[in-house]
Amino acid sequence: MSVPDLPRGVDPAPAIVARELGVRYNLRLTRKNTLRTSFMNLRARANGEREFWALRDVSFKLVHGESLGVIGPNGAGKSTLLQVLAGIIAPSAGTVEVRGQVSSLLTLGAGFDQELTGRDNILLAGAFLGIREEEMRGRMEGIIEYADIGQFIDAPIKTYSSGMRARLGFSIATFVDPDVLLLDEVLGTGDEAFRVKSKARILEIAASAKAVVLVTHDLHWVTDFCNRAMLLEQGRVVAEGDPQEVVDIHVDHSAKARENAPVKPA
Amino acid sequence: MQFTAQATPVFSSSARRPNPLGLIREAVTEIWSRRHLVGYLVRADLKKKGADTVLGNLWWVIDPLLQMTVYVILVSVIFARSQPDYPLFIFAAILPWKWFSTAVGDATVAVTLQDRLIKQVRFPLLVLPTAAVMAGVANFAFGLIPLFAMLVFLYPERLSTLVVFIPVIAAVQLVFTLAIGFVVSGINVFYRDVGNLSRHVLRLWFYLSPALYGPATVHKLASGHPTIFRIIELNPFYTLFTAYRNVIYGTETPDGGSTLPIPPDWGGLAGLLVASLVLLALATIFFKRLEPTFAKVL
Repeated sequence: MSVPDLPRGVDPAPAIVARELGVRYNLRLTRKNTLRTSFMNLRARANGEREFWALRDVSFKLVHGESLGVIGPNGAGKSTLLQVLAGIIAPSAGTVEVRGQVSSLLTLGAGFDQELTGRDNILLAGAFLGIREEEMRGRMEGIIEYADIGQFIDAPIKTYSSGMRARLGFSIATFVDPDVLLLDEVLGTGDEAFRVKSKARILEIAASAKAVVLVTHDLHWVTDFCNRAMLLEQGRVVAEGDPQEVVDIHVDHSAKARENAPVKPA
Repeated sequence: MQFTAQATPVFSSSARRPNPLGLIREAVTEIWSRRHLVGYLVRADLKKKGADTVLGNLWWVIDPLLQMTVYVILVSVIFARSQPDYPLFIFAAILPWKWFSTAVGDATVAVTLQDRLIKQVRFPLLVLPTAAVMAGVANFAFGLIPLFAMLVFLYPERLSTLVVFIPVIAAVQLVFTLAIGFVVSGINVFYRDVGNLSRHVLRLWFYLSPALYGPATVHKLASGHPTIFRIIELNPFYTLFTAYRNVIYGTETPDGGSTLPIPPDWGGLAGLLVASLVLLALATIFFKRLEPTFAKVL
Protein backbone atom coordinates (compact mmCIF):
# COMPACT_ATOMS: atom_id res chain seq x y z
CA MET A 1 0.00 0.00 0.00
CA SER A 2 1.25 3.44 -0.81
CA VAL A 3 0.04 6.98 -0.88
CA PRO A 4 -2.60 7.16 -3.58
CA ASP A 5 -1.71 9.37 -6.49
CA LEU A 6 -4.17 11.99 -7.61
CA PRO A 7 -6.27 10.22 -10.21
CA ARG A 8 -6.49 11.81 -13.60
CA GLY A 9 -9.71 13.41 -14.86
CA VAL A 10 -10.78 14.39 -11.39
CA ASP A 11 -12.67 17.55 -10.52
CA PRO A 12 -9.87 20.08 -10.08
CA ALA A 13 -11.95 22.38 -7.87
CA PRO A 14 -10.89 21.99 -4.27
CA ALA A 15 -13.06 19.83 -2.04
CA ILE A 16 -12.46 22.04 0.97
CA VAL A 17 -11.40 25.65 1.13
CA ALA A 18 -10.94 27.15 4.56
CA ARG A 19 -10.02 30.80 4.89
CA GLU A 20 -8.84 32.28 8.17
CA LEU A 21 -11.18 30.08 10.16
CA GLY A 22 -11.78 31.00 13.74
CA VAL A 23 -14.03 29.38 16.30
CA ARG A 24 -14.75 31.17 19.51
CA TYR A 25 -16.31 29.53 22.52
CA ASN A 26 -18.17 31.63 24.98
CA LEU A 27 -17.26 30.02 28.26
CA ARG A 28 -20.21 31.58 30.03
CA LEU A 29 -22.57 29.72 27.72
CA THR A 30 -20.83 26.41 27.34
CA ARG A 31 -21.30 25.39 30.92
CA LYS A 32 -24.42 23.57 31.92
CA ASN A 33 -26.32 26.52 33.24
CA THR A 34 -28.99 26.78 35.80
CA LEU A 35 -30.87 30.03 36.17
CA ARG A 36 -28.99 30.71 39.37
CA THR A 37 -25.52 30.45 37.88
CA SER A 38 -26.47 32.54 34.89
CA PHE A 39 -27.71 35.33 37.13
CA MET A 40 -24.40 35.10 38.89
CA ASN A 41 -22.68 35.25 35.54
CA LEU A 42 -24.61 38.38 34.62
CA ARG A 43 -23.23 40.03 37.70
CA ALA A 44 -19.74 38.76 36.99
CA ARG A 45 -19.90 40.10 33.46
CA ALA A 46 -18.05 43.23 34.53
CA ASN A 47 -15.01 41.05 35.18
CA GLY A 48 -14.40 40.79 31.47
CA GLU A 49 -15.60 38.52 28.68
CA ARG A 50 -14.76 34.89 29.19
CA GLU A 51 -14.07 33.56 25.77
CA PHE A 52 -11.75 31.12 24.24
CA TRP A 53 -10.63 30.65 20.65
CA ALA A 54 -10.59 26.93 19.87
CA LEU A 55 -9.38 27.69 16.35
CA ARG A 56 -7.66 30.77 15.05
CA ASP A 57 -6.59 31.77 11.53
CA VAL A 58 -6.77 28.31 10.03
CA SER A 59 -6.47 28.40 6.23
CA PHE A 60 -6.00 25.45 3.91
CA LYS A 61 -7.19 23.84 0.71
CA LEU A 62 -7.84 20.19 0.06
CA VAL A 63 -8.47 18.80 -3.42
CA HIS A 64 -10.33 15.59 -4.22
CA GLY A 65 -8.10 12.59 -3.78
CA GLU A 66 -6.12 14.05 -0.96
CA SER A 67 -6.07 12.62 2.48
CA LEU A 68 -5.21 15.03 5.27
CA GLY A 69 -4.11 13.83 8.67
CA VAL A 70 -4.70 16.29 11.49
CA ILE A 71 -2.49 15.78 14.53
CA GLY A 72 -1.70 17.69 17.66
CA PRO A 73 -1.90 17.46 21.43
CA ASN A 74 -5.22 17.10 23.25
CA GLY A 75 -7.26 20.28 23.20
CA ALA A 76 -5.49 21.67 20.13
CA GLY A 77 -8.77 22.13 18.25
CA LYS A 78 -8.62 19.05 16.03
CA SER A 79 -12.16 17.90 16.68
CA THR A 80 -13.47 21.45 16.47
CA LEU A 81 -11.90 21.71 13.02
CA LEU A 82 -13.77 18.60 11.87
CA GLN A 83 -17.00 19.96 13.30
CA VAL A 84 -16.59 23.17 11.34
CA LEU A 85 -15.80 21.23 8.14
CA ALA A 86 -18.91 19.11 8.73
CA GLY A 87 -20.99 22.26 9.07
CA ILE A 88 -21.96 21.37 12.63
CA ILE A 89 -20.39 24.50 14.08
CA ALA A 90 -20.54 27.82 12.26
CA PRO A 91 -17.20 29.62 12.26
CA SER A 92 -17.00 32.76 14.37
CA ALA A 93 -14.57 34.22 11.86
CA GLY A 94 -13.54 33.39 8.31
CA THR A 95 -15.29 31.05 5.89
CA VAL A 96 -15.29 27.42 4.91
CA GLU A 97 -16.52 25.89 1.66
CA VAL A 98 -17.03 22.18 1.23
CA ARG A 99 -18.00 20.68 -2.12
CA GLY A 100 -19.74 17.34 -2.26
CA GLN A 101 -21.57 14.95 0.00
CA VAL A 102 -20.02 15.05 3.44
CA SER A 103 -20.04 12.05 5.72
CA SER A 104 -19.25 13.00 9.23
CA LEU A 105 -20.05 10.31 11.75
CA LEU A 106 -17.17 11.74 13.67
CA THR A 107 -17.10 9.44 16.63
CA LEU A 108 -18.61 6.39 15.12
CA GLY A 109 -21.96 5.19 16.26
CA ALA A 110 -22.51 7.99 18.72
CA GLY A 111 -25.77 8.96 17.10
CA PHE A 112 -27.37 5.55 17.30
CA ASP A 113 -30.76 5.15 18.88
CA GLN A 114 -30.29 2.56 21.61
CA GLU A 115 -33.79 1.13 21.37
CA LEU A 116 -33.91 0.62 17.61
CA THR A 117 -32.42 -2.30 15.72
CA GLY A 118 -29.25 -2.01 13.65
CA ARG A 119 -31.32 -2.06 10.49
CA ASP A 120 -33.57 0.78 11.68
CA ASN A 121 -30.52 2.72 12.76
CA ILE A 122 -29.00 2.43 9.29
CA LEU A 123 -32.13 4.03 7.83
CA LEU A 124 -32.22 6.64 10.58
CA ALA A 125 -28.55 7.55 10.02
CA GLY A 126 -29.25 7.89 6.30
CA ALA A 127 -32.15 10.22 7.01
CA PHE A 128 -29.97 12.33 9.29
CA LEU A 129 -27.30 12.51 6.59
CA GLY A 130 -29.95 13.59 4.09
CA ILE A 131 -29.89 10.48 1.93
CA ARG A 132 -33.09 9.29 0.28
CA GLU A 133 -34.73 6.17 1.66
CA GLU A 134 -34.65 4.13 -1.56
CA GLU A 135 -30.96 4.90 -1.92
CA MET A 136 -30.31 3.87 1.65
CA ARG A 137 -32.28 0.63 1.25
CA GLY A 138 -30.18 -0.12 -1.80
CA ARG A 139 -27.01 0.22 0.27
CA MET A 140 -28.39 -1.63 3.25
CA GLU A 141 -27.05 -5.07 2.33
CA GLY A 142 -23.59 -3.70 1.58
CA ILE A 143 -23.47 -1.89 4.91
CA ILE A 144 -24.64 -4.97 6.82
CA GLU A 145 -22.22 -7.27 5.07
CA TYR A 146 -19.30 -4.95 5.65
CA ALA A 147 -20.12 -4.39 9.33
CA ASP A 148 -20.17 -8.17 9.74
CA ILE A 149 -22.11 -8.30 13.00
CA GLY A 150 -24.27 -11.28 12.09
CA GLN A 151 -27.65 -11.76 13.76
CA PHE A 152 -27.21 -8.62 15.82
CA ILE A 153 -28.30 -6.46 12.91
CA ASP A 154 -31.91 -7.17 13.93
CA ALA A 155 -31.33 -6.60 17.64
CA PRO A 156 -31.54 -3.24 19.42
CA ILE A 157 -28.28 -1.29 19.51
CA LYS A 158 -28.27 -1.41 23.31
CA THR A 159 -27.32 -5.09 23.08
CA TYR A 160 -24.20 -4.33 20.99
CA SER A 161 -20.65 -4.34 22.24
CA SER A 162 -18.72 -1.12 21.70
CA GLY A 163 -16.72 -2.81 18.94
CA MET A 164 -19.87 -3.85 17.09
CA ARG A 165 -21.26 -0.36 17.41
CA ALA A 166 -18.08 1.12 15.96
CA ARG A 167 -18.10 -1.35 13.07
CA LEU A 168 -21.65 -0.55 12.13
CA GLY A 169 -20.91 3.17 12.45
CA PHE A 170 -17.84 2.93 10.25
CA SER A 171 -19.73 0.88 7.72
CA ILE A 172 -22.51 3.46 7.47
CA ALA A 173 -20.14 6.42 7.33
CA THR A 174 -18.14 4.96 4.47
CA PHE A 175 -20.97 3.33 2.51
CA VAL A 176 -22.97 6.50 2.02
CA ASP A 177 -20.51 7.20 -0.79
CA PRO A 178 -19.16 10.47 0.57
CA ASP A 179 -17.15 12.93 -1.49
CA VAL A 180 -15.65 14.25 1.70
CA LEU A 181 -15.09 11.84 4.57
CA LEU A 182 -14.39 13.24 8.02
CA LEU A 183 -13.12 10.77 10.61
CA ASP A 184 -12.32 11.51 14.20
CA GLU A 185 -10.13 9.05 16.08
CA VAL A 186 -11.80 5.96 14.71
CA LEU A 187 -8.93 3.86 13.52
CA GLY A 188 -8.32 2.26 16.88
CA THR A 189 -11.74 0.65 17.07
CA GLY A 190 -12.71 -2.94 16.60
CA ASP A 191 -10.48 -5.98 16.57
CA GLU A 192 -7.31 -6.35 14.54
CA ALA A 193 -9.12 -7.79 11.52
CA PHE A 194 -11.54 -4.88 11.38
CA ARG A 195 -8.72 -2.36 11.81
CA VAL A 196 -6.99 -3.73 8.74
CA LYS A 197 -10.26 -3.78 6.86
CA SER A 198 -11.13 -0.17 7.77
CA LYS A 199 -7.70 1.08 6.74
CA ALA A 200 -8.14 -0.56 3.37
CA ARG A 201 -11.55 1.03 3.01
CA ILE A 202 -10.25 4.53 3.74
CA LEU A 203 -7.48 4.07 1.20
CA GLU A 204 -10.07 2.95 -1.30
CA ILE A 205 -12.14 6.09 -0.69
CA ALA A 206 -9.13 8.35 -0.93
CA ALA A 207 -8.11 6.61 -4.15
CA SER A 208 -11.50 7.10 -5.79
CA ALA A 209 -11.04 10.84 -5.77
CA LYS A 210 -12.64 11.42 -2.41
CA ALA A 211 -11.18 13.80 0.11
CA VAL A 212 -10.49 12.48 3.56
CA VAL A 213 -9.75 14.47 6.68
CA LEU A 214 -8.91 12.38 9.68
CA VAL A 215 -7.97 13.25 13.20
CA THR A 216 -5.76 10.70 14.85
CA HIS A 217 -3.06 10.08 17.39
CA ASP A 218 -1.78 7.19 15.30
CA LEU A 219 1.28 8.86 13.75
CA HIS A 220 2.15 5.79 11.67
CA TRP A 221 -1.15 6.07 9.90
CA VAL A 222 -0.38 9.70 9.05
CA THR A 223 3.08 8.99 7.65
CA ASP A 224 2.05 5.83 5.85
CA PHE A 225 -1.28 6.71 4.29
CA CYS A 226 -1.95 10.43 4.35
CA ASN A 227 -0.47 12.56 1.62
CA ARG A 228 -0.65 15.67 3.76
CA ALA A 229 -0.60 16.45 7.41
CA MET A 230 -1.41 19.39 9.59
CA LEU A 231 -0.20 20.05 13.12
CA LEU A 232 -2.52 22.07 15.33
CA GLU A 233 -1.42 23.54 18.63
CA GLN A 234 -3.68 25.74 20.72
CA GLY A 235 -6.01 26.32 17.81
CA ARG A 236 -3.37 27.45 15.35
CA VAL A 237 -1.70 25.70 12.47
CA VAL A 238 1.91 25.15 13.50
CA ALA A 239 3.03 23.09 10.53
CA GLU A 240 1.43 21.83 7.37
CA GLY A 241 2.67 19.81 4.42
CA ASP A 242 4.66 16.60 4.04
CA PRO A 243 3.40 14.05 6.61
CA GLN A 244 6.87 12.91 7.72
CA GLU A 245 8.10 16.45 8.38
CA VAL A 246 4.94 17.45 10.22
CA VAL A 247 5.03 14.31 12.35
CA ASP A 248 8.71 14.95 13.19
CA ILE A 249 7.85 18.46 14.36
CA HIS A 250 4.98 17.07 16.46
CA VAL A 251 7.20 14.43 18.06
CA ASP A 252 9.81 17.08 18.77
CA HIS A 253 7.26 19.46 20.34
CA SER A 254 5.75 16.67 22.43
CA ALA A 255 9.15 15.73 23.78
CA LYS A 256 9.85 19.35 24.72
CA ALA A 257 6.44 19.66 26.36
CA ARG A 258 7.25 16.60 28.49
CA GLU A 259 10.60 18.05 29.52
CA ASN A 260 9.09 21.37 30.50
CA ALA A 261 6.19 19.83 32.35
CA PRO A 262 6.61 20.02 36.09
CA VAL A 263 7.53 16.60 37.35
CA LYS A 264 5.35 15.47 40.18
CA PRO A 265 7.15 13.75 43.01
CA ALA A 266 6.33 10.09 43.03
CA MET B 1 -15.69 9.33 -12.97
CA GLN B 2 -17.79 12.21 -14.21
CA PHE B 3 -18.12 15.39 -12.27
CA THR B 4 -20.62 18.05 -13.02
CA ALA B 5 -20.31 21.27 -11.13
CA GLN B 6 -24.06 21.72 -10.79
CA ALA B 7 -24.64 18.30 -9.32
CA THR B 8 -22.08 18.72 -6.58
CA PRO B 9 -23.67 19.99 -3.40
CA VAL B 10 -21.68 22.82 -1.91
CA PHE B 11 -22.06 24.24 1.49
CA SER B 12 -20.29 27.23 2.76
CA SER B 13 -20.39 28.41 6.27
CA SER B 14 -19.30 31.70 7.70
CA ALA B 15 -19.85 33.97 10.65
CA ARG B 16 -22.65 35.82 8.86
CA ARG B 17 -26.27 34.91 9.57
CA PRO B 18 -29.32 35.68 7.41
CA ASN B 19 -31.99 38.20 8.44
CA PRO B 20 -35.19 37.09 10.23
CA LEU B 21 -37.19 36.59 7.02
CA GLY B 22 -34.32 34.61 5.53
CA LEU B 23 -34.26 32.47 8.67
CA ILE B 24 -37.95 31.63 8.31
CA ARG B 25 -37.50 30.77 4.64
CA GLU B 26 -34.51 28.60 5.55
CA ALA B 27 -36.53 26.84 8.27
CA VAL B 28 -39.40 26.05 5.91
CA THR B 29 -37.07 24.63 3.25
CA GLU B 30 -35.17 22.62 5.85
CA ILE B 31 -38.22 20.98 7.36
CA TRP B 32 -39.79 20.31 3.98
CA SER B 33 -36.64 18.77 2.52
CA ARG B 34 -36.23 16.61 5.63
CA ARG B 35 -39.86 15.60 6.03
CA HIS B 36 -38.83 11.96 5.71
CA LEU B 37 -36.47 12.38 8.65
CA VAL B 38 -39.38 13.81 10.66
CA GLY B 39 -41.39 10.75 9.63
CA TYR B 40 -38.61 8.39 10.75
CA LEU B 41 -38.23 10.11 14.08
CA VAL B 42 -41.96 9.96 14.68
CA ARG B 43 -42.09 6.26 13.81
CA ALA B 44 -39.03 5.54 15.95
CA ASP B 45 -40.67 7.37 18.82
CA LEU B 46 -43.93 5.44 18.47
CA LYS B 47 -42.07 2.15 18.13
CA LYS B 48 -40.12 2.80 21.30
CA LYS B 49 -43.07 3.97 23.35
CA GLY B 50 -44.92 0.75 22.70
CA ALA B 51 -41.96 -1.58 22.90
CA ASP B 52 -41.47 -2.18 26.61
CA THR B 53 -45.03 -2.77 27.73
CA VAL B 54 -47.19 -5.89 27.55
CA LEU B 55 -50.10 -4.03 25.98
CA GLY B 56 -47.79 -2.08 23.67
CA ASN B 57 -49.48 0.49 21.52
CA LEU B 58 -52.87 -0.39 23.00
CA TRP B 59 -51.84 2.05 25.71
CA TRP B 60 -52.54 4.96 23.41
CA VAL B 61 -56.19 3.96 23.51
CA ILE B 62 -56.31 2.94 27.17
CA ASP B 63 -54.37 5.85 28.58
CA PRO B 64 -56.82 8.68 27.78
CA LEU B 65 -59.69 6.45 28.95
CA LEU B 66 -58.00 5.87 32.30
CA GLN B 67 -57.26 9.55 32.65
CA MET B 68 -60.89 10.30 31.95
CA THR B 69 -61.98 7.77 34.57
CA VAL B 70 -59.78 9.45 37.18
CA TYR B 71 -61.36 12.83 36.54
CA VAL B 72 -64.87 11.42 36.39
CA ILE B 73 -64.37 9.84 39.81
CA LEU B 74 -62.78 13.00 41.18
CA VAL B 75 -65.37 15.45 39.92
CA SER B 76 -68.67 13.54 39.89
CA VAL B 77 -68.14 11.41 42.95
CA ILE B 78 -65.92 13.43 45.26
CA PHE B 79 -66.97 16.96 44.30
CA ALA B 80 -70.49 15.69 43.55
CA ARG B 81 -70.90 17.91 40.51
CA SER B 82 -73.28 16.73 37.88
CA GLN B 83 -73.17 17.44 34.21
CA PRO B 84 -75.01 15.32 31.67
CA ASP B 85 -72.73 12.80 29.92
CA TYR B 86 -69.78 14.12 31.90
CA PRO B 87 -67.30 11.43 30.68
CA LEU B 88 -67.72 12.64 27.11
CA PHE B 89 -67.68 16.24 28.28
CA ILE B 90 -64.16 15.94 29.70
CA PHE B 91 -62.87 13.42 27.19
CA ALA B 92 -63.29 16.09 24.49
CA ALA B 93 -60.73 18.17 26.40
CA ILE B 94 -58.44 15.44 27.73
CA LEU B 95 -57.61 14.18 24.26
CA PRO B 96 -56.22 17.45 22.83
CA TRP B 97 -54.57 18.25 26.14
CA LYS B 98 -52.72 14.93 26.22
CA TRP B 99 -51.31 15.76 22.81
CA PHE B 100 -50.26 19.23 23.88
CA SER B 101 -48.71 18.28 27.22
CA THR B 102 -46.89 15.24 25.81
CA ALA B 103 -45.62 17.26 22.87
CA VAL B 104 -44.32 20.06 25.09
CA GLY B 105 -42.65 17.52 27.38
CA ASP B 106 -41.04 15.66 24.48
CA ALA B 107 -40.04 18.86 22.66
CA THR B 108 -38.34 20.15 25.81
CA VAL B 109 -35.77 17.37 25.64
CA ALA B 110 -35.88 16.86 21.84
CA VAL B 111 -32.64 18.76 21.22
CA THR B 112 -30.80 17.97 24.46
CA LEU B 113 -31.34 14.20 24.18
CA GLN B 114 -29.68 14.20 20.75
CA ASP B 115 -26.60 16.05 21.95
CA ARG B 116 -24.19 13.37 20.71
CA LEU B 117 -25.67 13.25 17.26
CA ILE B 118 -25.84 17.04 16.98
CA LYS B 119 -22.08 17.17 17.52
CA GLN B 120 -21.59 14.52 14.82
CA VAL B 121 -23.81 15.25 11.88
CA ARG B 122 -25.03 18.39 10.20
CA PHE B 123 -28.80 18.38 9.92
CA PRO B 124 -31.49 20.98 10.50
CA LEU B 125 -32.17 20.81 14.22
CA LEU B 126 -35.70 22.13 13.79
CA VAL B 127 -36.72 18.61 12.75
CA LEU B 128 -36.25 17.47 16.37
CA PRO B 129 -38.97 19.55 18.08
CA THR B 130 -41.10 19.19 14.93
CA ALA B 131 -40.94 15.40 15.24
CA ALA B 132 -41.82 15.58 18.94
CA VAL B 133 -44.95 17.56 18.14
CA MET B 134 -45.90 15.36 15.18
CA ALA B 135 -45.60 12.22 17.31
CA GLY B 136 -48.25 13.83 19.46
CA VAL B 137 -50.48 14.12 16.40
CA ALA B 138 -50.28 10.35 15.92
CA ASN B 139 -51.13 9.93 19.58
CA PHE B 140 -54.11 12.23 19.17
CA ALA B 141 -55.28 10.31 16.12
CA PHE B 142 -55.22 7.04 18.09
CA GLY B 143 -57.16 8.74 20.87
CA LEU B 144 -59.96 9.38 18.39
CA ILE B 145 -60.67 5.62 18.40
CA PRO B 146 -61.98 5.51 21.98
CA LEU B 147 -63.67 8.86 21.37
CA PHE B 148 -65.71 7.50 18.50
CA ALA B 149 -66.34 4.27 20.37
CA MET B 150 -67.84 6.32 23.19
CA LEU B 151 -69.92 8.39 20.79
CA VAL B 152 -71.27 5.39 18.95
CA PHE B 153 -71.93 3.01 21.83
CA LEU B 154 -72.61 5.26 24.82
CA TYR B 155 -73.80 8.63 23.53
CA PRO B 156 -75.19 8.02 20.04
CA GLU B 157 -77.56 10.99 20.34
CA ARG B 158 -74.53 13.31 20.49
CA LEU B 159 -72.85 11.93 17.39
CA SER B 160 -73.19 14.46 14.57
CA THR B 161 -71.54 15.35 11.29
CA LEU B 162 -69.90 18.26 13.10
CA VAL B 163 -67.08 15.89 14.10
CA VAL B 164 -65.59 16.47 10.63
CA PHE B 165 -64.35 19.78 12.04
CA ILE B 166 -62.08 18.03 14.56
CA PRO B 167 -59.12 18.05 12.12
CA VAL B 168 -59.64 21.77 11.47
CA ILE B 169 -59.49 22.55 15.18
CA ALA B 170 -56.50 20.20 15.50
CA ALA B 171 -54.71 22.10 12.74
CA VAL B 172 -54.97 25.33 14.73
CA GLN B 173 -53.70 23.49 17.80
CA LEU B 174 -50.80 22.07 15.76
CA VAL B 175 -49.57 25.55 14.80
CA PHE B 176 -49.74 26.72 18.39
CA THR B 177 -48.06 23.55 19.71
CA LEU B 178 -45.22 23.80 17.18
CA ALA B 179 -44.51 27.36 18.29
CA ILE B 180 -44.35 26.36 21.96
CA GLY B 181 -42.29 23.26 21.07
CA PHE B 182 -39.66 25.30 19.22
CA VAL B 183 -39.30 27.74 22.09
CA VAL B 184 -39.02 25.20 24.93
CA SER B 185 -36.60 22.95 23.01
CA GLY B 186 -34.34 25.95 22.36
CA ILE B 187 -34.40 27.31 25.90
CA ASN B 188 -33.79 23.87 27.40
CA VAL B 189 -30.36 23.72 25.76
CA PHE B 190 -29.26 26.62 27.92
CA TYR B 191 -31.45 26.14 30.97
CA ARG B 192 -32.32 22.58 31.90
CA ASP B 193 -34.74 24.02 34.43
CA VAL B 194 -37.39 24.18 31.69
CA GLY B 195 -38.34 20.53 32.20
CA ASN B 196 -38.87 20.92 35.94
CA LEU B 197 -40.81 24.12 35.50
CA SER B 198 -42.98 23.10 32.56
CA ARG B 199 -44.57 20.15 34.37
CA HIS B 200 -46.09 22.49 36.93
CA VAL B 201 -46.92 25.22 34.47
CA LEU B 202 -48.74 22.66 32.32
CA ARG B 203 -50.73 21.32 35.26
CA LEU B 204 -51.82 24.82 36.30
CA TRP B 205 -52.62 25.67 32.69
CA PHE B 206 -54.87 22.61 32.43
CA TYR B 207 -56.84 23.47 35.55
CA LEU B 208 -57.19 27.13 34.50
CA SER B 209 -58.55 26.04 31.11
CA PRO B 210 -62.17 24.92 30.77
CA ALA B 211 -61.42 21.20 30.59
CA LEU B 212 -63.09 19.75 33.67
CA TYR B 213 -65.67 22.55 33.67
CA GLY B 214 -67.27 24.48 30.85
CA PRO B 215 -67.28 28.11 29.75
CA ALA B 216 -70.61 28.66 31.52
CA THR B 217 -68.86 27.95 34.83
CA VAL B 218 -66.19 30.47 33.88
CA HIS B 219 -68.90 33.04 33.11
CA LYS B 220 -70.48 32.45 36.48
CA LEU B 221 -67.18 32.80 38.33
CA ALA B 222 -66.14 35.88 36.37
CA SER B 223 -69.53 37.58 36.52
CA GLY B 224 -69.10 41.23 37.43
CA HIS B 225 -65.43 41.12 36.38
CA PRO B 226 -65.45 41.49 32.58
CA THR B 227 -61.69 42.16 32.53
CA ILE B 228 -60.95 38.85 34.18
CA PHE B 229 -63.16 37.12 31.65
CA ARG B 230 -61.31 38.82 28.77
CA ILE B 231 -58.02 37.53 30.17
CA ILE B 232 -59.40 34.02 30.57
CA GLU B 233 -60.62 34.10 26.99
CA LEU B 234 -57.11 34.93 25.76
CA ASN B 235 -55.99 31.46 26.83
CA PRO B 236 -55.61 29.47 23.58
CA PHE B 237 -57.01 26.42 25.31
CA TYR B 238 -60.15 28.30 26.22
CA THR B 239 -60.84 28.60 22.50
CA LEU B 240 -59.56 25.11 21.63
CA PHE B 241 -61.33 23.15 24.38
CA THR B 242 -64.57 24.99 23.72
CA ALA B 243 -64.30 24.32 20.00
CA TYR B 244 -63.57 20.60 20.45
CA ARG B 245 -66.36 20.28 22.95
CA ASN B 246 -68.84 22.16 20.78
CA VAL B 247 -68.49 19.71 17.92
CA ILE B 248 -68.12 16.54 20.03
CA TYR B 249 -70.44 17.14 22.96
CA GLY B 250 -72.33 20.40 22.62
CA THR B 251 -72.20 23.07 25.24
CA GLU B 252 -73.30 23.38 28.83
CA THR B 253 -76.24 25.59 29.62
CA PRO B 254 -76.35 27.92 32.65
CA ASP B 255 -78.97 25.72 34.34
CA GLY B 256 -76.55 22.77 34.42
CA GLY B 257 -77.95 21.05 31.34
CA SER B 258 -76.40 20.78 27.91
CA THR B 259 -77.14 21.24 24.23
CA LEU B 260 -76.36 18.86 21.41
CA PRO B 261 -73.21 19.56 19.27
CA ILE B 262 -73.03 23.02 17.74
CA PRO B 263 -70.57 24.55 15.25
CA PRO B 264 -67.40 25.98 16.81
CA ASP B 265 -66.76 29.70 17.23
CA TRP B 266 -65.08 30.26 13.87
CA GLY B 267 -64.11 33.84 14.66
CA GLY B 268 -62.29 32.79 17.80
CA LEU B 269 -60.51 29.95 15.99
CA ALA B 270 -59.45 32.24 13.13
CA GLY B 271 -58.09 34.75 15.63
CA LEU B 272 -56.18 32.02 17.42
CA LEU B 273 -54.80 30.72 14.12
CA VAL B 274 -53.46 34.16 13.17
CA ALA B 275 -51.95 34.66 16.61
CA SER B 276 -50.41 31.18 16.52
CA LEU B 277 -48.88 31.77 13.09
CA VAL B 278 -47.27 34.98 14.34
CA LEU B 279 -46.05 33.12 17.42
CA LEU B 280 -44.70 30.29 15.24
CA ALA B 281 -42.79 32.77 13.06
CA LEU B 282 -41.25 34.37 16.14
CA ALA B 283 -40.47 30.96 17.64
CA THR B 284 -38.79 29.88 14.40
CA ILE B 285 -36.59 32.98 14.34
CA PHE B 286 -35.78 32.43 18.00
CA PHE B 287 -34.77 28.80 17.39
CA LYS B 288 -32.80 29.53 14.22
CA ARG B 289 -30.88 32.32 15.93
CA LEU B 290 -29.84 29.96 18.71
CA GLU B 291 -29.22 26.92 16.48
CA PRO B 292 -25.57 27.68 15.55
CA THR B 293 -24.59 27.72 19.22
CA PHE B 294 -26.25 24.39 20.12
CA ALA B 295 -23.33 22.17 19.07
CA LYS B 296 -20.99 24.28 21.18
CA VAL B 297 -23.17 24.43 24.27
CA LEU B 298 -24.42 20.84 24.42
